[in-house]
Amino acid sequence: MKRRIDLPLLITLTTLALFVFVPMISAFEYSIRTPVEGGYGLTNYKWAVADEDFLYYILRSGWLSALTVLVTLVILVPTVTWLHLSDSKLRPLIDGLSLLPLVIPVVAFAVGAQISLPEFVQNTVLELPFLYFILALPYAYRALDIGLNSIPLKTITEAARSTGASWSRTIISVIIPVIRGAVMGTIALTFALSLGEYTLTVLLHWDTFPTWVTFVAQENILGAIAISMMSLIIPFILLTGITLLMPDRSAQRRK
Amino acid sequence: MTSKDLTLTNVSRRFGTVTALDNFNLHVGVGELVALLGPSGCGKTTALRIIAGLESLDSGKVTVGEKDISRIPAHKRNMGMVFQAYSLFPNLTVEENVAFGLQMRKVSKHLRLKKAHELLELVGLPTHAKRFTHQLSGGQQQRVALARALAFSPEILLLDEPLSALDAQVRVNLREEIRRLQISLGTTTVFVTHDQEEAMSISDRVGVMSHGVLEQIDTPDVLYNAPATAFVANFVGVMNRIPADLANGKVSIFGKSLTASKKGSESGKIVALLRPETISVKKSSSQGNARVLTRSFQGASSAIICQTHEGTIVQSLMASFDTGDFHPGTLVDLEVSTNEVMVTNV
Repeated sequence: MKRRIDLPLLITLTTLALFVFVPMISAFEYSIRTPVEGGYGLTNYKWAVADEDFLYYILRSGWLSALTVLVTLVILVPTVTWLHLSDSKLRPLIDGLSLLPLVIPVVAFAVGAQISLPEFVQNTVLELPFLYFILALPYAYRALDIGLNSIPLKTITEAARSTGASWSRTIISVIIPVIRGAVMGTIALTFALSLGEYTLTVLLHWDTFPTWVTFVAQENILGAIAISMMSLIIPFILLTGITLLMPDRSAQRRK
Repeated sequence: MTSKDLTLTNVSRRFGTVTALDNFNLHVGVGELVALLGPSGCGKTTALRIIAGLESLDSGKVTVGEKDISRIPAHKRNMGMVFQAYSLFPNLTVEENVAFGLQMRKVSKHLRLKKAHELLELVGLPTHAKRFTHQLSGGQQQRVALARALAFSPEILLLDEPLSALDAQVRVNLREEIRRLQISLGTTTVFVTHDQEEAMSISDRVGVMSHGVLEQIDTPDVLYNAPATAFVANFVGVMNRIPADLANGKVSIFGKSLTASKKGSESGKIVALLRPETISVKKSSSQGNARVLTRSFQGASSAIICQTHEGTIVQSLMASFDTGDFHPGTLVDLEVSTNEVMVTNV
């Protein structure tokens, strides 16, 4: 049978691709302009990398984002698993609550959330991963929720428990590998969101990569765009690396 | 690890207003296979889950050997369990699934894979070790689940309707295989099922449950031939319920006087309980006492369903070669071949 081209789908995908890639390509084109000499070159990139603050801020945002991913997984995977297993009446309520970070303006949320954190992280840079976690909650929660809905969670959990796995082993050795796709999605979403977070960070007077980029943009706009291009590419390389490193053996992928 | 005996003493469990188990007592001897049989909602699965530690109990205790395990979490109980739904880990290969319990017990990789291959040999899947679970049929998946449950030499094996999702032929083969393995390994086993044929065919003893209580636990023969209660009589095998009058311990059924096996000297309206094989059908030259409704051919034997002139439906089971003439509508005489009959109140 000859495969027919699905025209509406093709139009949608093309529009979407243009929407995503045209700004990126334009930004890239802009970032390699060399206004002084004319034409194109890597001057702006060289300038950005030469600045020692570049490495400092990208690393700082990097480990803060990694910590956010860790906080998200440690808090969220057991919680969502428990919600699914217990058939709790709280589940619809928590479904709704998890959306609140989308609704509440960051200005209103920042200080309130900050003072509700444990004292030892308050007013240290370590408060950021916890706050980023709350901002990522609507996406991370949904990604895990869908993943857990797609597997026979109760049977698999009970099988693991009766075979001798403790709760923590059940989550680490069985549940996370089985919902690998959802976990990878959660990692990617949380990492990207934390790496690019600006409003909350500025409100609480912290300096991270995005706030530094805005600062740099005031003196060298082309350099700032070059930095932004790199901040797009670096997480992409990192996430691809993680995906390749985590062995994919799930049945869903092979089917 | 050697198998141990299992005792449940006065175990009760309620879910809201529903009593799932009510002072439930059970003893399973070392190496014995006991089936828990009953209609859905009778508490048999709850009992099994309490033994496994997947469900908590409100009162009573569970003992394995001498040890009270009522408060021990599921993963420390050392019991193998096979579930009704397919429960293999989809991210692991067949051999890794089977070796999982040993991995949790920190057995070296070499030893646990060796043991996994032994078990796969035992369940007839030696060539499937490297496959993933979605590449297996339902029957093969349950074999792997059985191998996984047995690989770490559990003290008790628990089977929660492991055959109910399978095709008829696979079911029969696999149940025989479970029995063969259970005998050769000598593992104390509790088998929950709602299928009486399954329970009767492979168990040392069968416990019939109703409303959270064990009605009777006995060998399949005793259960069938000498049911202790009317519930067991009705639930196990096919039972005819024929209304009759009881007087001085005697009941008259189809013109024959039978001794009522129920204790006491009650009299009045009762229901007599008769197995189909104790009723025979003969072609009548006159009106007879019943009329044939259907004849169902089952190979060596045939079931003849008749309706008496009083309206009671009666089933008879006879050797097939005698039954060719019993077309629907044929007038027949029903006769009882036994001298004793169990009776119950209307």
